[in-house]
Amino acid sequence: MSVQIPPTLSAETVREISEDRNEPEWLLEARLDAFEALDDVALPDVIQTPGRRWTNLEALDFENLVDPLNQSDETERVSAEGATVLSFVDALDEHEDLIKEYFGSVVPADTNYLTALSAALFTTGTFIYVPEGVDAEDVKIRAEMNSQTLFSHTLVVTEESSSATILESIESGDDVDGDRYFSNIVEVVAGENSYVQFGSLQNLNEDTYHYTLKRGDTDTYSTINWIEGNIGSRLTRSDVETTLNGDGSETKIVGAFFGHDDQHLDVNARVWHQAEHTTADLVTRGVLDDEARSVYEGVQDVGVDAWNTSSYQRENTLMLSDESEADASPKLIIHNHDTEASHSATVGQVDAEEMFYMTSRAIDPQTARNMLVEGFFVPVLEEIEVDEFRNDLEELVQARLN
Amino acid sequence: MSSEEHLKQTDTEARFEFKKEQKSAFQAEKGLNEETIRVISEDKDEPEWMLQRRLRALKHFQNMPMPTGWPEAPDLSEVDVDAIVPYIRPDVDVRGGVDDWRDLPDEIKDTFDKLGIPEAEKNALSGVGAQYESEIVYQNMQEQWQEKGVVFCDMDKAVQEHEEIVKEYFMTKCVPPSDNKFAALHGAIWSGGSFVYVPEDVTVNMPIQAYFRMNSEGMGQFEHTLIIAEKGSEVHYIEGCSAPKYSAFNLHSGGVEVFVKEDAHVQYSTVQNWSKNTYNLNTKRAIVEKNGRMEWISGSMGSKATMLYPASILKGRGASDNHITIAFAGKGQNIDTGAKVYHNAPETKSTIESKSISKDGGRTNYRGLVHIADGAYNSSTAVECDALMFDNESTSDTMPYMEINESRVDVAHEATVGKIGDEDIFYLQSRGLDDDDAKQMIVSGFIEPITEELPIEYAVELNRLVELEMEGSLG
Repeated sequence: MSVQIPPTLSAETVREISEDRNEPEWLLEARLDAFEALDDVALPDVIQTPGRRWTNLEALDFENLVDPLNQSDETERVSAEGATVLSFVDALDEHEDLIKEYFGSVVPADTNYLTALSAALFTTGTFIYVPEGVDAEDVKIRAEMNSQTLFSHTLVVTEESSSATILESIESGDDVDGDRYFSNIVEVVAGENSYVQFGSLQNLNEDTYHYTLKRGDTDTYSTINWIEGNIGSRLTRSDVETTLNGDGSETKIVGAFFGHDDQHLDVNARVWHQAEHTTADLVTRGVLDDEARSVYEGVQDVGVDAWNTSSYQRENTLMLSDESEADASPKLIIHNHDTEASHSATVGQVDAEEMFYMTSRAIDPQTARNMLVEGFFVPVLEEIEVDEFRNDLEELVQARLN
Repeated sequence: MSSEEHLKQTDTEARFEFKKEQKSAFQAEKGLNEETIRVISEDKDEPEWMLQRRLRALKHFQNMPMPTGWPEAPDLSEVDVDAIVPYIRPDVDVRGGVDDWRDLPDEIKDTFDKLGIPEAEKNALSGVGAQYESEIVYQNMQEQWQEKGVVFCDMDKAVQEHEEIVKEYFMTKCVPPSDNKFAALHGAIWSGGSFVYVPEDVTVNMPIQAYFRMNSEGMGQFEHTLIIAEKGSEVHYIEGCSAPKYSAFNLHSGGVEVFVKEDAHVQYSTVQNWSKNTYNLNTKRAIVEKNGRMEWISGSMGSKATMLYPASILKGRGASDNHITIAFAGKGQNIDTGAKVYHNAPETKSTIESKSISKDGGRTNYRGLVHIADGAYNSSTAVECDALMFDNESTSDTMPYMEINESRVDVAHEATVGKIGDEDIFYLQSRGLDDDDAKQMIVSGFIEPITEELPIEYAVELNRLVELEMEGSLG
């Protein structure tokens, strides 16, 4: 089933965006192809159980959410020595060949309706390139969304034996009346024996509908580690995925979310083991307060050629309120028997014994609960290599608790 | 034959594989339409309301989609309901089942002798029902249970003799035909099965068993089982099933409804060994009242494709559920099974333990749903799935779904998948076992949590079936 294209959109809109930015012909063609694809592709898959649909993406009113010609953002980028960190537009001047080679190679535009919309309409994003042997530490992208709609496309390419630790933070800047839509597509191409940590912290205001697909592709012996923090937005659909294409490659997908009020957070972590001796570790921790609802799908897919695979998944949800709801589906799809795979998921309240211990030490119950929630996020915080990111996430969690 | 001799004879394929010449008293045309259903209902001399229910179910069947689009679901494209014979009444004198095996025609008696049913009845059971094709041919229960008011009879007979109860419970509150396409099919064309009624405070201390046998090629079996366990009662129901293998597909689409009243306890055990041309698409569900307990134990060894997710609706405070399932998929098999539990009341508890083995290109999938409703506080659920894979042609999927609407709960899910341990095999080999025996022993250990829940005769039976699967000598 495909979705109607909003009447406010046409091929002309797409041309206008591309021409405004003086883009090369091939990129305009790619955008137009993506626009054409809108007719044929469906919204991202959503889990359905008898009588229930876990996230209702059909309700997104693209006609009112998508205002492609007035996109505006303010993005600050901090590079590291020897690496290239540029806005997508500027990068086209310097690295057109690389962008042409890798744009859409990990997330093809016709993956789904929302990726096609993004490829046709994106106006911002970052290109990060780390040459062979270079270690790019503490690369930072701080983006502020100032318009009703914003489509961002980020591409990370690391050459052989290089490394990069990247923090991306997304917030709302100028106030805009009505509902907003933020789309964030990230592609990571990790070269042989390279290492990428891509951390993303989303704290958009609560009128914003947020879609993100972050996907990486590993070469031999390379590692892609994702850290995905979702605090803000009205509704988030987040898909963080790695395809382990190289022998001996690894990935970690670490997620943290904290929903309150009537936020809906649909967060997903997926890994495809396609080569030999690959390892994956998926860790997601989330807290729900008020009437917030979380949806989680974790997929560990072991292909027929993925000999000697190790794959682990843990998901833990803490419910602070009786009105909240947590839905989870951790999935194992195993086609190769030479595999050690496990997953676990838990849902529950703050541990009563731990509360008792804390209160018996004369800590008031509210403070005790807050400390336990902060402690709950520690396994995620420990994974973060960019200090600033860790501090930001801690602060956002504390702010939400108080 | 002593039970030991009997067990020695079980390790032959012939035990399940033998075919009997088809002799029927009545056989419906292939396919499904209103006329077929009227003919079946008339042949059974059913009351008008049952005919109307069948016809309503048929409408649902015609309007509902096939269960396609599920992630990684078995391929049902071969299942053409119009190609099967939905109803074959075996050629016996007494409808509703004789109570002496000797009164059965020789070929039917011989069938059940070979399957070891009369032997088991003598040793370990309170009662036995045996279905051949579409109807029950043998039905018996020890007198002491009859005296206590326990009813164990053929479902068709129950429609006649316990009409009021059946009318109230039959596919009304538990499994309505609108539930899914195959429940609708079942509602239209059901035949045979068991009716079990256990009065208040009666504990039936030995299991009762029903055995279902399909003999004919290209037939469909649609037995209905309705169990009502009144307040404080207890019963263990066992069903077994088998069929010889044919080249055309067979279809089994059973319906099971269990009502577990306050403080009652029902255990429902299934040893499924359909031939590997059978599509096994069942709907099984229990409604559990206050402090009641429902246990689903199932071993799925046979069938070409199985889609089966026994469900418990924990409706009353303190109700509990226990699922233990084992699936073994060999060459060409796709066993998609799991559990569904709805926690609709406070202090309800469920535990689900699933073990699966895939071998020689077989495919197993655990697909399960645990739903905890808002207000079902102090409920807990623990799900554990373990899968063992023998080779690289096989597939093992685990797909649990959890919907938690209540914070004061304890929810845990765990799953592991792995190959059979090289070290374990090495250890056993160093103790003088050969490779095959070592593997068999490891598998027996792997499924022990399930076999220990069954009476010894069935545990042995299940182990034998697994051994036969391991040798690849079945079907």
